[in-house]
Amino acid sequence: MSAAAAATDGTYSPAAAAGEKRRERKEELRRHLAEDADWPRADGRSFHDCRPAFMQTGPTTAASGSAYAEFGKTKVIVSVFGPRESKKAMLYSDTGRLNCNVSYTTFATPIRGQGMDNKEYSAMLHKALEGAVMLHTFPKTTVDVFALVLESGGSDLPIIISCASLALADAGIMIYDLVTSVSVSCFGKNIIIDPTSDEEAWQDGSIMVAYMPARKEITQLTLTGEWSDGKITNAVELCMDACSKLCDILRERLKDAASLAE
Amino acid sequence: MAAEAQATAAGGLAGEMEVEAYRRLFPLAFLERHLRESVRPDARRPAEARPTTVALAAVSSAHGSALVRLGDTAMLASIKLEVMSPSGEAPDEGSIAVEFHMPPICSPLVRPGRPAEVAPVISKNLEDILMSSGMLNLKELCLISGKASWLAYLDVYCLNADGSLFDAALISAVAAFTHLEIPLVSVGDDGRVFTVGGNEGKAKYELVNREKRKLTITNVPFSLTCALHKDNVLADPTAEEESIIETSVTIVLDSSDQIVSIQKPGGAVTSMTTIKECISLAKDRRRKLREILMDNVEAMEVDQTD
Repeated sequence: MSAAAAATDGTYSPAAAAGEKRRERKEELRRHLAEDADWPRADGRSFHDCRPAFMQTGPTTAASGSAYAEFGKTKVIVSVFGPRESKKAMLYSDTGRLNCNVSYTTFATPIRGQGMDNKEYSAMLHKALEGAVMLHTFPKTTVDVFALVLESGGSDLPIIISCASLALADAGIMIYDLVTSVSVSCFGKNIIIDPTSDEEAWQDGSIMVAYMPARKEITQLTLTGEWSDGKITNAVELCMDACSKLCDILRERLKDAASLAE
Repeated sequence: MAAEAQATAAGGLAGEMEVEAYRRLFPLAFLERHLRESVRPDARRPAEARPTTVALAAVSSAHGSALVRLGDTAMLASIKLEVMSPSGEAPDEGSIAVEFHMPPICSPLVRPGRPAEVAPVISKNLEDILMSSGMLNLKELCLISGKASWLAYLDVYCLNADGSLFDAALISAVAAFTHLEIPLVSVGDDGRVFTVGGNEGKAKYELVNREKRKLTITNVPFSLTCALHKDNVLADPTAEEESIIETSVTIVLDSSDQIVSIQKPGGAVTSMTTIKECISLAKDRRRKLREILMDNVEAMEVDQTD
């Protein structure tokens, strides 16, 4: 392995070099995205269309509960372990603990090993789920939620959150409601939902909403870039509507899994 | 009648709970009781391996990838190619970096941050077998002798750990190399190598590797792990069986049924008769695995032709 590590120092990805013409083309494309009112997205969706969602429970039999989600090119697998004994170093607690960890495979991104930059996702996943899990039902113990992003194709964190709530339900952890999450990107005056990696690279700003549809409560809202008040309201409502539809899909999956078990 | 039905149902449920309790409290006795009848707790015969499926092209962003399911054990292998300067000792060869990962999603025994103890062992075994079996010719990974060659990163991720991890990892690695497609590259003015897009005809620079897009795969290695318990040989053990039985042996054979590796990490002493029995089982297993892999490769080629 030391020889391979030494060899690694001199490697580079053979990507095409950027030229002056490419820069001009980029500027032209950016103007087009921001100012034109209507343009087809690269995958043929309209502004307010989500990618087709495939979700499934139980891919990891070693875990108490697990779920797999595929939204276009983004693929996520989440396992839930527990409730199980907390580590000895932790102090006594009347309520249970929720522990979340998000990691990327080395090949998840076009450039190898790029997924290491998303260290804040674990904390964000924890905050999104904490409000939904009934921690008082498993005192002194810990529920571990581990997520692995197999492929990163954009809108990774919202998909991780939705998949994690499905895995928690599969594990039989008591929750107030399923948490579903959707994000939108802003291009000038245009708002597009469920952006891909390419769209995220070009966006002026983004909003992510994690939402419990049955209770109409938001567990997490994250905003980046510049937004006007009116646009924020529109974007949040768009997200909540999409979250409700996604929650219907999740409930359908849970019913299917339950009927299969019998 | 209703009372009888309820009593029967209650008895059945109580019986199931008793069996489950016996299984958890006395796992060894539970297993031995099954083996006396030549059957295993999951209804397999001792010499029977679990159903195996291979799916190629599981990762779209990788140059080669495969998803393998061996019973409930799931492995995802992916290969990414990068250009590097070859070493002085071997200027006309590429190289391979193997890494086996056990993320915390795959087993309750793995914790984030601290890598599983078994992961580097499997990494090393995989690398040794891929190199020593002669499956790959590293000279095919050379682009320009002494200046540029491919470094293939092979990453194998365990998605579900249910026993026989090395067997599943090796199948997925072999399948990923079978699926590997080398991108077209050219040399720029500054001497650096870069990929050429789909538009081949308008390439300003001469292509370096127009012909070599696929690796020549010879002598494909396949493995079989057996758990040994007293007089019994259990092929392809599950995680439960592995945790109970302390002796195991892994046989790796190549396409000519020659032995690439035998590994027996500790455990009770074993006679040569038992080892030969394991080798015989591994030969049968190799033939079945080769059929499975060839079926997938042919299916993939048909897809690409259409």
